Amino acid sequence: MTDLRLDATQLDRYSRHVIMDEVGPEGQKRLLEGSVLVVGAGGLGSPAIQYLAAAGVGRIGIVDDDVVERSNLQRQIVHGDGDVGRPKVDSAADYVAALNPDVDVETNELRLTADNVGNLVADYDVVLDASDNFATRYLLNDHCVLTETPLSHGAIYRFEGQVTTFTNERTGEDDPPCYRCIFPEAPEPGTVPDCATTGVLGVLPGTVGCIQATEVVKYLLGKGDPLEGRLLMYDAMDMSFEEVPVRPNPDCPVCGDDPEIESVSDVAYEGTCEISAD
Amino acid sequence: MATEWKLFADLAERAGEKRVTVEAAAGDTVGDALEELLADRSDLEDRVLDEEGDLRSQINVLRNGTNVLIEEEGLETELEDGDELALFPPVSGG
Repeated sequence: MTDLRLDATQLDRYSRHVIMDEVGPEGQKRLLEGSVLVVGAGGLGSPAIQYLAAAGVGRIGIVDDDVVERSNLQRQIVHGDGDVGRPKVDSAADYVAALNPDVDVETNELRLTADNVGNLVADYDVVLDASDNFATRYLLNDHCVLTETPLSHGAIYRFEGQVTTFTNERTGEDDPPCYRCIFPEAPEPGTVPDCATTGVLGVLPGTVGCIQATEVVKYLLGKGDPLEGRLLMYDAMDMSFEEVPVRPNPDCPVCGDDPEIESVSDVAYEGTCEISAD
Repeated sequence: MATEWKLFADLAERAGEKRVTVEAAAGDTVGDALEELLADRSDLEDRVLDEEGDLRSQINVLRNGTNVLIEEEGLETELEDGDELALFPPVSGG
């Protein structure tokens, strides 16, 4: 930490944080010195980026290889009508720049792959998975398990969301679960329809993305109980939240007792994301 | 005695309902209740079972919120009175 003091503008901007004992000037400083990689600047990424930036998380990396489409705007609220056709990372970076000059945004207009995930994740404290496909989700999970990087997971389907946190802190005793402990392999491609086919309630990713942002802020502050070992299932239609306990699976292919996956290069991140049969 | 299944995400869509009641009672197994469910809602079968008729690895089966595949006896787990069963798949939207 270089300087523990917040300047007068920061004391004003973050006054509602600083006044709380759980945050205080030191907590706010932690946020300003914290960093998060947000993978996906879509439905989940939009509210997450907005709240993390507003909170003063000092460095936000954004990964996305898409451009803004008009059909995104019903839920991807970091982008505006004038952004249609622009890269999502640029549109999101402009939003953050207008909101909070304390935040440095690093844009990566590319798709996450087994080759680039190491470099992209390396310099960040925590990763927020706001992607929209199983290949990226399994790749991020495996990489974060193998490098012990904390990962916030959120995913949506029509009116339902799933959200949980994987701290990936492994000491050999009472180790936490990972995404593959719950879902060892992805469904066969084509079995689960995507948002474009099924539709999605626009506000749904707002709720789920905000829970993910909350988890990241708590992690950076070092406060509260993480949503770990619990998969929170949200149903917007019933307006219900259900918690399913998640336990480490001894047969997990990446964090189990005898893991098959020792490197992300062991896996072809397509189809069911199972280990390559070579 | 009836047992209720709660279904999530695309499983509920395939079944046409989030909650499906089947004929299965204390002493029957979770597998028996699953068989009843798939007999009643045939559109679920391909999504839940693989070509060999085994449960697909990404489909989770809960009994009263506990994962029977990891913490109990899998589909051989015996039902007790008043059990609530659930099936949930991963979702990937963002």
